[in-house]
Amino acid sequence: MIKAFIITHGNFGKELVAVAENILESPIDIECISFDWQEDGNKSYAKIENHLKKYHDKDIIIFTDMFGGSPTNICFKFHSKNIEILTGINLPGLLKFLTYKDKKIGLKALVKEIKKGAIDGINIIGEYLGDKKA
Amino acid sequence: MIKETIEIINKLGLHARASAKLSHLANSFQSDIFLIYHEDRVNAKSLLGILTLAASVGNPITIEADGKDEKEAVQKIAEMFKNKFDEES
Repeated sequence: MIKAFIITHGNFGKELVAVAENILESPIDIECISFDWQEDGNKSYAKIENHLKKYHDKDIIIFTDMFGGSPTNICFKFHSKNIEILTGINLPGLLKFLTYKDKKIGLKALVKEIKKGAIDGINIIGEYLGDKKA
Repeated sequence: MIKETIEIINKLGLHARASAKLSHLANSFQSDIFLIYHEDRVNAKSLLGILTLAASVGNPITIEADGKDEKEAVQKIAEMFKNKFDEES
């Protein structure tokens, strides 16, 4: 079983999970950790470490909101053989995770699938309609 | 392999919640199941795949299933469309 966290600025992660729960009409087992804008980096690190400790025997995916942001930068330190971090999570990416997590394809392959789902979910409607009209 | 073409009659078409219900149902069958909408063909077991159709009300959609429970799969999925995904009275 893979454990997932969403670590973001503000309540972005919690809102994302709430929307996904509404779409799938079932509760989602993902822990969301919010970064307080004023929070000290060491305190944030300790907070994440405490959450991760509980799942030391599991594969873990950490979703963050944006590459280069503080939540992501702090998570770099947790990367390991069984902890992968995917930045820039969006709704299609999260839905891909939720519908793929039980497929037993392994952590690395799963993260690649989620990344693909997240990217494929970004479209320019003008181009989409252009293709359809052509 | 069997197919059935029906018209999408729920107002919102294959939006997120309806697509989630459909993929969930499709995953309960062993057969390979596809949806064909205009020139696109997607795996009905993939939520994100269904969403790429952007399928809207008033348009035809084809359900195609291949496998030992293909008949039941097409029948149940067609019913879901006909019942408007239980989102309208």
